[in-house]
Amino acid sequence: MVELKVIPIETDVLIIGGGLAGCMAAIKASEEGGPRITLVEKSNTLASGCGGSGIDHLWSYIPPIHEKMGYTLQDMADDHRLGMGNGFFRKDLFYLTAGTMYDRMLDLERFGLRFRYDDSKAPGNFRVVQQFHSVPATFNFDGAPIKIKLTSEAKRRGVHIINRVQMTDLVVTEGQIAGVVGVGTRTADIYFFRAKAVVLASGRSNRLGRHSNGIDFNTRIPSSMSGDGTSMAIRAGLPIVNIEFLSGRVLAVNAPKKTFGDPRGTMQPAGRIIDGRGNVLVPRTQFYDWETLEKEKWTPEVRRIWFEERKVVRGGAHQFITKSHKEGGGPFFLDFSEATDDEGDYIEWSIRNEGKGTQLMRYLKEEESFSIKGNALEYADFYDRELSGTAQKGVWVDKDLETGIKNLFAAGDEIGGFAWQCGPGAITQGWHAGAMAAIRARAQKGLLPVSEEAMRVRKEMCSRIINCEFGFYWKEVEIYVQNLMDFYCGDIRSEGLLRRGIERLENAKVAQFRAENPHELCRCLDVHSIIDNAELVLRASLERKESRPELEFRRAEYPEKDDKNWLCYLAVRKEGGELRFSKIPIES
Amino acid sequence: MSYRHIYFDKNICNGCNVCVEICPGDVFAPNPEKGSPPLVMYPEECYLEGSCVTMCPHKGAIRILTPFPLRGGFLRR
Repeated sequence: MVELKVIPIETDVLIIGGGLAGCMAAIKASEEGGPRITLVEKSNTLASGCGGSGIDHLWSYIPPIHEKMGYTLQDMADDHRLGMGNGFFRKDLFYLTAGTMYDRMLDLERFGLRFRYDDSKAPGNFRVVQQFHSVPATFNFDGAPIKIKLTSEAKRRGVHIINRVQMTDLVVTEGQIAGVVGVGTRTADIYFFRAKAVVLASGRSNRLGRHSNGIDFNTRIPSSMSGDGTSMAIRAGLPIVNIEFLSGRVLAVNAPKKTFGDPRGTMQPAGRIIDGRGNVLVPRTQFYDWETLEKEKWTPEVRRIWFEERKVVRGGAHQFITKSHKEGGGPFFLDFSEATDDEGDYIEWSIRNEGKGTQLMRYLKEEESFSIKGNALEYADFYDRELSGTAQKGVWVDKDLETGIKNLFAAGDEIGGFAWQCGPGAITQGWHAGAMAAIRARAQKGLLPVSEEAMRVRKEMCSRIINCEFGFYWKEVEIYVQNLMDFYCGDIRSEGLLRRGIERLENAKVAQFRAENPHELCRCLDVHSIIDNAELVLRASLERKESRPELEFRRAEYPEKDDKNWLCYLAVRKEGGELRFSKIPIES
Repeated sequence: MSYRHIYFDKNICNGCNVCVEICPGDVFAPNPEKGSPPLVMYPEECYLEGSCVTMCPHKGAIRILTPFPLRGGFLRR
């Protein structure tokens, strides 16, 4: 019989998740005047989270560029609401993110990341390309080492980083956060943290469906993230919004990075989509001509053209692919043959700095002798689904990122209601949440009393799994849940299928896991989170009685989009053991 | 599905275990024999982001052969 050890830790500010948001929160909290800051990460902050192996693009309002164009922060807000948000929009979160990202970029520069290049003709010598908005608004930069730099900045400021601990339970005392329970992924020790303020920054749930290429952990965004934050939040009674929008990525390439993206994306400014016969389906993007910056001012007409051009790759990929197949056009290729040598170099540089891009470029060059200019890369029309930036799923927060539990803040992908906040969301909101948590922690005299109940329950459950002699390996249950989600909660959802999916998920909930070591134990905890997230997706899909094609959400019985009743956030929360739904209107 | 795609060169790797420390998928375990390459415990939990290769202080000590189902399709000119 293995007896699990309990490790109690007291701190002032506790940060859950050491990705971009968590690291920025830790750095800012320590700059706010030094209470004890503890950052807990399931992997290792040097390589964890969506920015783990790098990031090559951050969108921002860029005053030295956009002011010259006559493009205001409000213009960008309108772009974002209409484009990335598909009508879903939170002005407060947008202004916090877009309005402060430029300052945070200057901080990142201070931390040693390179943003300026002698060959750039843009003001500030930045490399800025068009991506999410109707003007160039995305910094490309040497972001491969971002997590190494942020880790060293956090350490330099005395942040206590604890790697390899998976957080599992929020402990609340009279409506205020008081503690968090975690489990050591290499030790199976039970951690019992007490804190005055907490930042929840754990990210999305990335293993909710099977992977069509058979390589299960080759997800687009990190497979180690299983939605532990959402799971903790829903069990603590907090509302989660938009989780029904689990949807597919249509244009993807079958390679390590998987979703190479579309030619309107930042990584391939000179790319275009061609069909098998060489017909150009989506023309290449042009680099912005900085010479015209002060001559031609931005107008709403610029936005209109931009929307028109992006129709194919923004929400319309399904229709586009079906139509082209009918006309005999498939398969489709991402083609860079129109790129100049400089543009080819730029694309390679950019991809190498982004996420799994280093591996992708290494694979293409070394294993396939691929050349950006000479070859076109085929899009695989496979359909791995995820809670992407388009879904804007997450916990509901107020304008200062505080959740419904006092002194519990959230940041980055943990937050719902803001489309494609991604890197900029993590960086700016992490910073703000860190500041808020530090201020609250300073204002509070002592730690609140905590119940040990959640810790005891978690310890007993882990003990059962690790001492079990006859039970299921975590991966079997994970695959069961993924199969279930693909079948009952797929492209077309219906009441009958969803209800049956909810019923069959009960089997997974009561499955007795068996783990041979702490690593396997924590994979079982991953699957618990995946089950919690899956249940919310199924239940929320049943609740949303409409179809919303631009978010790839389709209900068989409700084929029409219904803005009047359903252009709103759908919030789900747990009350007295039951899931309850409410609508949160979108402010105009 | 299980597959093998992570290779150590035991003539270059000195068992420093940097890859063990940083791997987001916690794929490796230190070799009980000091100075030897880590053990690849859970290759199917690899996210293929390559931090083990890029952060390895001994170039060539660790290599990844992209799993075969991930081979891309190309138009060659």
